Amino acid sequence: MKGGASSSTRRRLVPYALLGPGLVWLLLFFVVPMYFMGEVALRSGTLETGFQFNWEFSNFSDALSRYDENFIRSFIYAGVSTVLALAIGYPLAYFIAFRGGRWKNALLFVVVAPFFTTYLIRTIGWTTILSDDSVVVDVAGSLGILDLFQTLGFTDTDNRLLATPVAVIAGITYNFLPFMILPLYASLERIDQSMIEAAKDLYSSARQAFLKVTLPLSAPGIVAGTLLTFIPAAGDYVNVIFLGSGNQSMVGNAIQSLYLNLRDYPTAAALSFMLMAVIFAIVVVYIRFAGSEALMGDEEEAT
Amino acid sequence: MRGLSRTKDPGKWAPWRALLAAGVLAAGLGIAACGGDDDGIGGGGSDDVSVAEAEGEPSGTLNVSNWPFYIDKRTVGEFEKETGVKVEYNEDVNDNSEFFGKVQPQLERGESGGRDIMVVTDWMAKKMYDLGYLQDFDKDALEPAFANLVPALESPSFDPDRNFSLPWQSGMTGLVVNTAEAPDVTSVNDLFDPQYKGRVEMLTEMRDTVPLVLKADGINPEDATEEDWTAAIDKIRDAAESGQIRKFTGNEYTKDLANGDAVAVIGWSGDAVQLQADNPDIQFVMPDEGCMLWSDNMVIPVGAPNPTAAYAWMNYAYEPQNQAQIANYNYYFTPVDGTREVLEEEGSDAADSELVFPDEEFTADCSTQDEPPGGPEAVADVEREFQSVITG
Repeated sequence: MKGGASSSTRRRLVPYALLGPGLVWLLLFFVVPMYFMGEVALRSGTLETGFQFNWEFSNFSDALSRYDENFIRSFIYAGVSTVLALAIGYPLAYFIAFRGGRWKNALLFVVVAPFFTTYLIRTIGWTTILSDDSVVVDVAGSLGILDLFQTLGFTDTDNRLLATPVAVIAGITYNFLPFMILPLYASLERIDQSMIEAAKDLYSSARQAFLKVTLPLSAPGIVAGTLLTFIPAAGDYVNVIFLGSGNQSMVGNAIQSLYLNLRDYPTAAALSFMLMAVIFAIVVVYIRFAGSEALMGDEEEAT
Repeated sequence: MRGLSRTKDPGKWAPWRALLAAGVLAAGLGIAACGGDDDGIGGGGSDDVSVAEAEGEPSGTLNVSNWPFYIDKRTVGEFEKETGVKVEYNEDVNDNSEFFGKVQPQLERGESGGRDIMVVTDWMAKKMYDLGYLQDFDKDALEPAFANLVPALESPSFDPDRNFSLPWQSGMTGLVVNTAEAPDVTSVNDLFDPQYKGRVEMLTEMRDTVPLVLKADGINPEDATEEDWTAAIDKIRDAAESGQIRKFTGNEYTKDLANGDAVAVIGWSGDAVQLQADNPDIQFVMPDEGCMLWSDNMVIPVGAPNPTAAYAWMNYAYEPQNQAQIANYNYYFTPVDGTREVLEEEGSDAADSELVFPDEEFTADCSTQDEPPGGPEAVADVEREFQSVITG
């Protein structure tokens, strides 16, 4: 009964129908909340006198200028943590992927196992690991590492690690390490070993084989891992609460205090938008730089 | 420079994209319109405050939100046995402002989040009442409790008729010190001493920390001007930025004192006694310039599901026997007349402790918590300044 024309229409509509659930999810859980938050961000007033919708665009620029230090700190801490996570995670993922053999699954389980404990408890655990009379601080102190940190300006004291940027960065790196390791592992595991053999057949050294074959082929994993680590780390606030002090406060802490303590909802909403905008800008630049094919994992175009 | 989408067919895509975007915006606006018209969030409480009526015998479940370390381990169980009411006792009040921020959205809508009783400090109780978030007491149901209320707390300035608040405990804010590590700390000014750098903590409660700093500088908080408050906050800010003050805490200073990360903090009198159980060197030190006196009050929020059980709890807590049990544990001032006699009969140390029953001399220089001077705008400014010190 259906003619040729409507069956081709149906075929054209199928992609949209398939997209449907995803679009609805995005609409309900992203677009609508964004709309409400944007509406609050444009209000002015206080809790006692009421918030009025005033098209208060100054909230955005005010938020950015009042909390500029928090922004800078957030991105420095998140950036350093991401680099550290990459430095720690890449060798580990490489080892599991290439040398794991039949222990691969067990090793992966060990990587993921700490995540069975809740984020908060893991961070609180670090307050004990790094507490002033802990083994870590003792050893670091006697090895002169604490003095080194103080000279380099990482901390402002030479007798503790808690309530310094070092502890905060350590906490963030630790908490987001699996987000770096797993994508790296996934892309390293997919590499065809015969390519490396081919490289060696063509007289490349082990180092050259790594740099010219393995590393570029694992690029999708690196891009995915860094994004998955950096973006949530930039908005983190839990690590500062337990491992840091007011001097390390990040944008997440500012938003929390604006919302819960000062009840200044418009500024909190505006600050959230600015955080989103800045992260978005960084990610767009990064993806353009890394190449979207690396993100999409298209190996033909990436080489 | 390739974009994130690889196939671009402008002819086919553009109208669909525009339609999709428009649809999304329309849907968003539609939902927002259905969400009801508020010309503003907040804006002051309603004029008619409801009374939480007691109905019949207490039953069901009672939900209490209180501060940590504020009750002994047995009272809840014994109350449950005596009345048959099941008690959900949550220690989720760590700091007045934090707690307020947590419950405010629900209270605004007239819901209490299931809570029947909340325990907050005087100024927060007043603030919540002014915003219309609390209910008045059914005084008849509370006759037993009011009969035992100590005269000193019968008529405080923020609630002269005790319409909406009943003290849970009172206490002092002063110095909690590890006297082995920091024997010379006797004044809040000693917290600024460089030899304790990085091992000193202060409270996030502005109305505790700033007046104490004012007193240490010889200024009576009741006469302090806005400039005095700002100067004190600047002094605290300098100490925080230089790393002198390790962090600002709610109740968490107890953990740092216990494991030695901090040696001297601004803290609450009763906590010192509980910390002493593990480390006898940790003591409450009355600052030379005096302390801050406060009460934490039980209040009934709007939308409380079980006020009858709440009144039963309040009456139970106000029996001297039960109060003595609580006082033995948390060493704060008890608001119940007759508790001292019970403690003396039991031969408990609490009967003689100046932390539970201070004599006039001990608290001679203490002040009651005061708001920063000025109207709501000025207070909000001071709060924001202090907040910027705490969170950086």
